[in-house]
Amino acid sequence: MYVSDLGASAILLALLFAIYTPVAAVAGALRQSEALVASARRATLAVAAFLLLASGALVASFLLHDFGVSYVAQHSSLSMPWYYVTAAFYGGQEGSLLYWALTLALFSAIFVVTSRRAPAALVPYVLATLMAIEAFFLVVLATVSSPFVRLAHPPADGVGLNPLLMDPGMLLHPPLLLMGYMSFSLPFAFAVAAMITGRLDSEWLRALRRWMLAAWTIQSAGLLMGAWWAYHVLGWGGYWGWDPVENAALLPWLTATAFLHSTMVQERRGMLKVWNLGLVIASFALSIFGTFEVRSGVISSVHSFAYSTIGSYFLAFLALVIVFSLGLFLFRLPRLRAEQEFDSVVSREGIFLVNNLLLVGIAFATLWGTLFPLISAAMRHEEMSVGAPFYNQVTGPLFLLLLLAMGIGPLLAWRRTSFQALRRNLGLPALLAALCAAILPLLGVPSLWANVAFAVCSFTGSAILYELWRGVRVRHRHGESYVRALLMLFARYRRRYGGYLVHLGLLILAVGVIGSHFFQQQSDATLKPGQQVSIAGYQLVYLGNIEDFYPEKDVVVAQFQIWQHGQLLRYIYPGRQIYHNFSDQPASMISITTYGLTDLYVFLEDWQGAAQATIHIYVNPLTVLVWFGGLVLILGGVVCWWPEPPTSLRSGRLVRPLTIAEATTVSDRSPVQAAQEKAVVASAQAVERSATSPTPGPSDSRSREPGEEVSQ
Amino acid sequence: MQSAVVSTQTEKDTVQAPARRRLPAGLLVAGLAIAAAVVYLIVANTRSSAVYYMTIAELKHCTTCSSQAVRVMGVVQPGSIERHDQTLSFVITDNRQSLPVVYSGVVPDIFQAGIQVVVEGYYHGQGTFEAQTLLAKCPSKFQAATPTPSSS
Repeated sequence: MYVSDLGASAILLALLFAIYTPVAAVAGALRQSEALVASARRATLAVAAFLLLASGALVASFLLHDFGVSYVAQHSSLSMPWYYVTAAFYGGQEGSLLYWALTLALFSAIFVVTSRRAPAALVPYVLATLMAIEAFFLVVLATVSSPFVRLAHPPADGVGLNPLLMDPGMLLHPPLLLMGYMSFSLPFAFAVAAMITGRLDSEWLRALRRWMLAAWTIQSAGLLMGAWWAYHVLGWGGYWGWDPVENAALLPWLTATAFLHSTMVQERRGMLKVWNLGLVIASFALSIFGTFEVRSGVISSVHSFAYSTIGSYFLAFLALVIVFSLGLFLFRLPRLRAEQEFDSVVSREGIFLVNNLLLVGIAFATLWGTLFPLISAAMRHEEMSVGAPFYNQVTGPLFLLLLLAMGIGPLLAWRRTSFQALRRNLGLPALLAALCAAILPLLGVPSLWANVAFAVCSFTGSAILYELWRGVRVRHRHGESYVRALLMLFARYRRRYGGYLVHLGLLILAVGVIGSHFFQQQSDATLKPGQQVSIAGYQLVYLGNIEDFYPEKDVVVAQFQIWQHGQLLRYIYPGRQIYHNFSDQPASMISITTYGLTDLYVFLEDWQGAAQATIHIYVNPLTVLVWFGGLVLILGGVVCWWPEPPTSLRSGRLVRPLTIAEATTVSDRSPVQAAQEKAVVASAQAVERSATSPTPGPSDSRSREPGEEVSQ
Repeated sequence: MQSAVVSTQTEKDTVQAPARRRLPAGLLVAGLAIAAAVVYLIVANTRSSAVYYMTIAELKHCTTCSSQAVRVMGVVQPGSIERHDQTLSFVITDNRQSLPVVYSGVVPDIFQAGIQVVVEGYYHGQGTFEAQTLLAKCPSKFQAATPTPSSS
């Protein structure tokens, strides 16, 4: 009896419970049987427990170096430090699928525990959908892709992890991205549940939106970590290569972003219901596509993946998901009539629609490029592919328009905005953008596109800051200090100001992307000791190579000095490490030094003995902003997501069938307190309105406290 | 807040009104313009930057390959790798035919004899293939997201 046998049994047991849950949940919902639904809840928790056990067994097998387990033998070795050995858990196909299943089970368990807040009629169907997805993964894990397969003759030592994966990025990027893919299951489950029950109301939308926001934030973090890893490990000087695998991760992020915007139109005005459901379904389908594409070998990518049979399983599952949700969707179409009509394009909902079309356009272009080898093979019988220039040229202008819309959008009112209000709100940002466009060429920025892009960024940036300033000013007039006013805005209107934080982060990120895209400089040099190479005002002086020998690897580093303006700034050591079990793959140790906002990125390409080195130098201006902006963006996502303090308004307003709900939420504030707060808020807004514009629109800073949202 | 409540009232009224209007013209125009821009960008850029995948045999009979970039896949022939100063030359083969390649640029970490590579570049009839990019396919198993080597 090995630990791995325990894991294999745990997967089978989890599968049994995962199959039982949808049956019990649906039967419970149809017969109005509370006992059955409660049993489905407990079964979901059991699935999570067994998957924790299975994952624990796999991690234990790794830590015990049980090379009798084929997966352990292939992805770890005795010489690896314990944290990479643990991380090897998700380093291969079988383990990453187990990790996917585990996180889905854990999120489902979180849903079960918190589902008192969710609309009770939906709960059984949400559980059924989640566990049906889980069952698919468990079938794959139990049959074609089991991490617990044992070898008849265990090797003395394992193969070890690919050197590219032996990086701190390995500890964060794959788990975040896989969790991101997985987390689109929850909004999808809500969508399916609502389509089955026909309960497509605002309460449902709010529950769905929170899960989508969580998924979006996790996926953003995963994408950002992936970019950071590529930048630090691969040595080509960039962080995003439009590789099919990267695209696959971006696609659900784009549709989720679109959804998070258009959902506000549905909340406020009861429009775009069909569109929103479509986006939720598309996000999930794309995340399954991403999980599948990475493993199928259908699309050739420089990320190489062993071609395996599970591709066909995933394709079948993807087809099933699409057919099933499309069927439900058509069945519910009559219920999805918009409650209102669009009034004007110059309105908040108008700009949201523009934003959505742009995002979906970008997603479509990315999907088109990714699938182009298949499309061209099918249509013209010639396999063709498109590279990074295609994506840059197609999505660049669209992203730029999106940035512009991001600046205009928050300043527009719902329904329609008067021309004067528009001019008053956009005047200052437009002026700054014009100034920026005039000054940059004088400062010697040669590229027209870069100038346009920076002008758009300054427009949007000043529009966001202006909006923040207006909010702070109103509260300041009510006697709060500026700092406290700003903090209170973020504490009180999390959705709105969290959203601005996301916009600000995205804007900073965009400046970083524009900078590194247009102004990167690079140079190659083969040097002997004492020789130097100059680039962008920096001189790199080569001193020689240093070799170190460790039990598991050899390390070669080239020693350089960085000089600027006749001053020695520092020594750098770009190098290579050659792991003995992957001797054909010398992993890069890239030297990245940041001066101000500019990265000096030095990659040791080749070396001869102790006294010759070939290096590739990239000077990447503003790339730091990509990481900084990304962090701000994630922080904004968390602020948006962070639960609002419960108010009595919420519990008073929620009308739900009490047959299934075990308990109603109890407010921890008295109605009187809440009413007082509401009055304060209302008066503050009234002041703001009168202070900024006579039309109620542009400064439309209504509270987004859940109880106060407009119900349809 | 008060205004939001009031507008809900009026909005409910409009819901009950059966008169359904079309989308406002401005919105329709904006939507169509974006859709057209997306389609145009995709079509134009697909035309200009699509690269053919060819086998070595197809490449040898290609007449447009000196002006249009193509991708060719093959295995690096053992013993054929030569490094001169900045350029790298090697021969790739697909078991039937072989093709000499010259390349200057960043060489992927895992490049070596016997691995599968994809080269992208131009072919002027006879002689060597001038590669602009060199992509190496990892021989190992699935690796969670190991992004692009050497395509800048």
